[in-house]
Formats: sequence, structure tokens, C-alpha cells
Amino acid sequence: MSSLRARLLAWLLGGVLFVGAAGGLMVYRNALAQADAFFDYHLRQTALLLRDQPVEYQLGAQLVPADDDFVVQVWSLDGVRVYLSRPHAALPPTVTLGFATVTTREGRWRVFGVQAVSSVIQVAQPMSVREQRAAELALQTLKPFALLLPVLLLLIWVAVGQALEPLRRLTALLKARQVDSLEPISGAPLPDEVQPLVSALNDLLARLRDSFERERAFMADAAHELRTPLTALHLQAGMLARAGDEAERAAAMSTLSTGVQRAIRLVEQLLALARQQPRVDRPRVPVRLDELGREVVAELVPQADARRIDLGVAAAQPVSVEADPEALRTLLRNLVDNAVRYAPAGGRVDVTVEAAPDSGAATGATRARLRVSDDGPGIAPAERARVFDRFYRRAGTEPPGSGLGLAIVKAIADAHGAGITLGEGAGGRGLTVTVSFPPASSGSSPPSAGTHRGSPSS
Amino acid sequence: MRLLLVEDDPMIGEAIRAGLKREGFTVDWVHDAAAAAQVLRTDPFELLLLDLGLPKADGLTLLKSLRERGTALPVLIITARDAVADRVAGLDAGADDYLIKPFDLDELAARIRALLRRKSGRSAAGLEHLGVRLEPATHRVTRDGVEVALSPREFALLELLLERPGTILSRAQIEGRLYGWGEEVESNAVEVHIHGLRRKLGAQFILTVRGVGYRVRPAP
Repeated sequence: MSSLRARLLAWLLGGVLFVGAAGGLMVYRNALAQADAFFDYHLRQTALLLRDQPVEYQLGAQLVPADDDFVVQVWSLDGVRVYLSRPHAALPPTVTLGFATVTTREGRWRVFGVQAVSSVIQVAQPMSVREQRAAELALQTLKPFALLLPVLLLLIWVAVGQALEPLRRLTALLKARQVDSLEPISGAPLPDEVQPLVSALNDLLARLRDSFERERAFMADAAHELRTPLTALHLQAGMLARAGDEAERAAAMSTLSTGVQRAIRLVEQLLALARQQPRVDRPRVPVRLDELGREVVAELVPQADARRIDLGVAAAQPVSVEADPEALRTLLRNLVDNAVRYAPAGGRVDVTVEAAPDSGAATGATRARLRVSDDGPGIAPAERARVFDRFYRRAGTEPPGSGLGLAIVKAIADAHGAGITLGEGAGGRGLTVTVSFPPASSGSSPPSAGTHRGSPSS
Repeated sequence: MRLLLVEDDPMIGEAIRAGLKREGFTVDWVHDAAAAAQVLRTDPFELLLLDLGLPKADGLTLLKSLRERGTALPVLIITARDAVADRVAGLDAGADDYLIKPFDLDELAARIRALLRRKSGRSAAGLEHLGVRLEPATHRVTRDGVEVALSPREFALLELLLERPGTILSRAQIEGRLYGWGEEVESNAVEVHIHGLRRKLGAQFILTVRGVGYRVRPAP
């Protein structure tokens, strides 16, 4: 039963009916006990009266009022029945003195026997009389209650409706909302029981609003940013159409394909960022940073070779962190890719993985640290905070990047609770990006033999 | 016609430069507002193509400071900012036209021609003087209705001279307005082109003012 009103009504009705029935039963039992006492007294009085006023027993004589349901039986001392007030009554042919309850063909009877001078007098009454009397009494007591029951039901109906009114109002309020309205619910004062629900709803709405706002801003940014490579493509395509000879056409084709690659990269980065943003709930598994470092370096060596850059792993301690492996790979790829892009031709890019003792925490705890350094132009300290902004592109970067690489790195690091710092490279030249992971709760250095990923790809 | 392009995106910048060169314009290209402000002080440009989203200083700031200095140079904004408020802000800051990315090269060239035409106070698309007619959009030149084949440089030089018939242009002025940075200018290049024009349009069409420069023969 999902309706609150129906549920409340069922419980209240059931309760009322149960209490009514139990009350009726109790009244009946009470009345029965009272009737017992009353009629027993009468039986005894009648019997004693008959004993103390000796009469001539004649068959058919009227000893007790006829409309009474008493039956009188008189026995002689030698066991012969000398009188029976109603011949048809089938009383047991036995004599007991005092009270007794006997079962006969005509139901159960209450009998009282007393010994007179020359006879035994028995007065009896069917038990059904008492039961009937008790039932009447009980019914009489219950009658007003039964008559008032519909009124009670009506009252309950109205009361339940009244109690549920705030919920109805809340529903109407929510129904009347615009689809995109994420304003907090406010208005009429609400009962204490509903207030937490509304607070929770408002909380959810606020978070939804934030997230929608972020999405909207992201969409606007993304659409805006897509314009730049698309404009380049459009212009390059125009140049291709205007190309006069084969050499011009080849040159135009080449720039056009560079433009297409750039647009593809921007879209890929946008997707990577979109995937990264709200996903904090992806499963975390232990990832060996040193192995990841070697794998990513191996992947990017061809790119580094193309620019005669000496790309390598400077040091790799066996360290693992709890992480989303794909996200972490994207992070490291972006960092190394950036370094390879910005390092001068013939330059050097180093990837370092180390377990540094955690200065703040208890002794023995270590922080996994990932460092990528190049000997490129570096980033001026004033600019360092801004390079993590989405679509922030530094002046004069060639080839133009998507402006998203470091934003993605930041999003992934944030999701893993890792901090990023930018600094100078070796000898004060170039750039070093350091990603510090939070200290692992358990031992962060796995046994060097136990590898759970594939063997290093190097 | 020498134009200055301020655009930070290398691919767009290169495409515009190459595309406009095909349309007969000489395009010099800088990547940021500071460089633009500097070269605008030293070099003669007919028009400024300005991107707004520039690193460091914004394009609008550059435009405002130009107008504050009283520069009448035609400015065409090329930008990805397409909101009405942005367009209004751009035009109110002193831009003469506003083109939203992505745009077509043909449209860009047409708008540049329209701005240059307006700058020289003409309404007709073509220039005409003493039976010689020059169509900037189609790069056609006719003499008494007969088409004359000109080299791109000759065409640009003729356009320059026809802009204000009778005005004397020095060799240095012509060089400054015809050649962009990095273009090799032979010491007698202007004389060679003048010679070519005289050969094709008649010896008396372009007059030499000794020691000063060149002008087209004024209408009688």
C-alpha cells in the first residue's frame, strides 16, 4: 500500500475495530459474570423459599410464576420425583445439593438443590438465559459506539487529510515548477516532519544547479574553443580550393591535414575532460606508478624521437597508489606529451617516480611522487596558477595546443586527492611538474616481487 | 594594399595571410596587441584586421587606444565572440566592421575592399580615370573597354595611384604601402612597375614629378 492516506486509514480503522471488538468481549464477559451472580442468587432464594414454606405438591401446581424460566423439581427422600413444574423439561434424574451445571438435551442448565424435611427441592434454569442476557447487555453498551463509528471514521478521514495537506501543497509547488527551475523550494511553513525532506531536496537542487552551471559553462567554452580550429580548417579548405598548381595544392593539403589533426585533438581532449570531471566514483585499484611511468614513456618515445628529444625514466622506485588506472595514464600521458612538445629540439625530458617520506604524518608513511621535467622555456611563476584553467593557452605556443591538457591533469589529480606543483627544471631551466599523491593508508611500497599488472613494457 | 593582421592563432593567421595574398593584398602579421601597437606607429597600413581574444592585452584595448590617439585607420574585427553585446562593444570601441569566426575568405576580402572603398570616399566598387577602369574585386583592368593584363604588383600600384588621382606618391611611400616585411624590394622595383604600367596604359597616363614621385595625369 503506497498511499499514506490509505495506510493511515487502514491502521486507524483496524485499531478502532479491534478496540471495539475487545471492548465488546470484555463487556460481555463482565455481564455474564454479573448475570451468573444475579441468577444464582435467585435460584438459591427460590429453592430456600420453597423449603421454608412447605406446600402440597401437586402435579401442575403453580409454584413459581409461569413466565419465569425456572424449573422446579421435588424429589421424595426415597428417590421418587413427586413434582415437576414443567413436564417437558429434561433435567437429569440425579440430585445434587448446592449449585451444579449440567448438560442436558436442551442445553446446559444451572441447578440448585436443597434438602427439606421430607424431600429434596431442585430449582433449575437454562444457561442460555444468562448468555442471552449478557449478550443484550454487551450489545447495549456497544450500540452508541457503533452508531458513532461513522462519525469517527469521518473525523479520521478529515484529520489524515489535514495532516497530509503540507505534502499535497509541496507536490503542487513542485508540479508547478518550470522544468529548468532549480531554485530552492521555499514558501509556506512546513511541519517538522516534512522540513528535513525539503532541506534534503533543496540541497540536491543546489548541487544539481551547480553541476548544470558547470556543464553549461563547459559547453559554452567548448563551443567557443571549437571555433578557432574550425575557422582555421575553413580557411585552409578555402585555400585548397583556390590552389593554382600542384605544389600549392600539396602545401594546402598538408596544412589542412595539420588543422584536422588539431581539431581532432581538441575534441579528444574535450572528451577526456568531460569524462574526467564528475567521475569520482570509478573503482580504485592499486596502480604501480613506476610501471605506468615506463609504459607511458615507451608510448611517447616515437614522438620524442621525431624531435630528437632524449625522453626517459630518470628513477623509478616501486610505488603504487590507489587510483583509476586509465585516468592516471591520461594524466601522465598529458604531462609527458606537454614536456615533449615544449622541450627544445634535441632537449631532454625526464620522468621520475619516487616514494618520499611524508613530512607531516606519522613516521614511516610515504607519499608517492611523480615528476616530469623538461628543459623547455618553462612557465613564469606569475603564469603558473592560470595554466590549469580550461582553454588557457600561453602566448606564442607553437603548435597550438587545445588549452585543455593541464586542466585534465588537474581534474584527475583532484579526483585522486593529489597535489600538483610547478617548478623550474634542473639547473633553473625548463619546467618540472610534480604530482604528490596522498600518503597511502597501508604500506605504500609493495613487495618488489609481487606485480599485479603486466610486466613493464620497457 | 598593405594590411596588418593581429591574430594569435598560427593556423588561422597563416591561412588569412596566404588567402589575402592571393586576393592581391600584402598582409603583415603580428601575434599580440603590443607588437601591433608598435608596428602601427612605424609602418603605413591601409587597414587593421584585429582578433579580440589575444594573449596579454585584449584586442579591444588596443582598438580603444588607437582611437584615442585619433587614428582613422579602418579596423575590421575578426573574432569568435558572437554575442550581440560583444559586437556592439567592438563597433562602439571604434571598429568599422565585425566578422565572426568561422568566416569565408571571400567574405573577408570583400569586406576589406568595402572598407578601403569607403575610406577613400568612393561608393562605386571600381575606380575609373581617363578611360582606365580598375575592378578591385575581380582584379580586372580595362583601357577604353579593352582588358589589360597586369601583374599583381602593377595592379596594386595602379590601385594606389588611382585612389586619389593627382596626388603625388613618393617611391618610398609606394614601397612602404606595397611591400610587407621580409619582402625583397629591388632598388628599381617601383621604376620597373611604373614602366610596365606606362607600356600597357599609355606613356602619358602616369607622370613623373622629378625628385618627388609619381602621379596619374589629372583629368583635363
